[in-house]
Amino acid sequence: MKTKLALAVILATATTAALAGPIEEQIRFRQSAYSFLGWNTGKIKKQVVDHPESFNKDYVAAAANAIAAVANSGLGELYGVGTDQGTGWKTSRLKPEFFQKKEEVTAVANNFNLAANELAKVAATGDINTIKTQFGKLSETCKGCHDLIRVKE
Amino acid sequence: MKETVRLWDFPLRLFHWLLVLAVVAAYITATLGGNLMDWHGRIGALILGLLLFRLVWGFIGTTHARFSQFFPTLPRLYAYLSGRWYGIGHNPLGALAVFALLADLSLLVGTGLCASDDIAFTGPLYNLIETDELRDKISGLHALAFNILLGLVALHISSIAFYRIVKKSNLVIPMLTGKKTVPKALVTNIAGGGFVRFFTTVLVSGAIVWSVWHGVEFIQPVESAPVVTAPPSF
Repeated sequence: MKTKLALAVILATATTAALAGPIEEQIRFRQSAYSFLGWNTGKIKKQVVDHPESFNKDYVAAAANAIAAVANSGLGELYGVGTDQGTGWKTSRLKPEFFQKKEEVTAVANNFNLAANELAKVAATGDINTIKTQFGKLSETCKGCHDLIRVKE
Repeated sequence: MKETVRLWDFPLRLFHWLLVLAVVAAYITATLGGNLMDWHGRIGALILGLLLFRLVWGFIGTTHARFSQFFPTLPRLYAYLSGRWYGIGHNPLGALAVFALLADLSLLVGTGLCASDDIAFTGPLYNLIETDELRDKISGLHALAFNILLGLVALHISSIAFYRIVKKSNLVIPMLTGKKTVPKALVTNIAGGGFVRFFTTVLVSGAIVWSVWHGVEFIQPVESAPVVTAPPSF
């Protein structure tokens, strides 16, 4: 019992530390999340758009599920105050306007989540054309955020 | 005494208007994003082809299409600014704008070839760029080059309006019909151009565009993605 409690306390502390962690950590986590997203969108693009002859339902569904999982993980938590300034794996490209445009940000972020969940749903059916269409819609929602709150280098 | 001359040859006019359409289409597809980005890439290929065409045509096209005919040298610019320049075709100041437009479009296409939208679209030469930092820089330059283009186009259109309203000279009609009525004293012999040269230039430009898109596969075989068809076991 005591060990369990101790473990719970340690876990809770560790988690809280990660949550409220230093700015750099939040930036690093979110950059990693988007890199991982990029790997998975890349896989879908290759099989669904560029080389449809290589389409494998399970391969694409796995990638779509990964995207939905990241989208549903609560990325918003990684956008703490001050995280527009700082360096994770590299300098953050978050615009300071992020913190003034809460409503628009929420809207584009929700669009992304909805599109990601829908993609996972259609990926499960294995219909390449529907997947392609939904994949396009998902990319539009990525662009929604990029245009709104991401610095162009 | 006035005379009507063949000012802009057919290939030049075709280049001009196709370029207008292509740039507008490239802008629209980039703004909407999504699956249209693949069309953005195809239109980029067309623009690269048009630019290459113009570059060659600037040496072997008809007289007024040639760079040497209107290159804005300092004496020409000076003569124009002090009101002592007489001629037809691009005036020295307009020629400056022409070269600026061509240079900026080259930057736009060149960076586009190596750019990425960080979503699911990359230019054909993206993989030749080694570091993420440089890739981001190039994509940023692509956006900057477009903003410069907007400025140059605004200058282009307002100059045309200025000529129309203040100087009472319509510059759009000659770009459509190729013909312009000018004082006889300014008429020059029109040389160069021709169907064979036109056809050859189109062929050469097309071949270069094709090589840019497909040649990279020979230099640097891209990850054999299509081979991975099934998910790995873990």
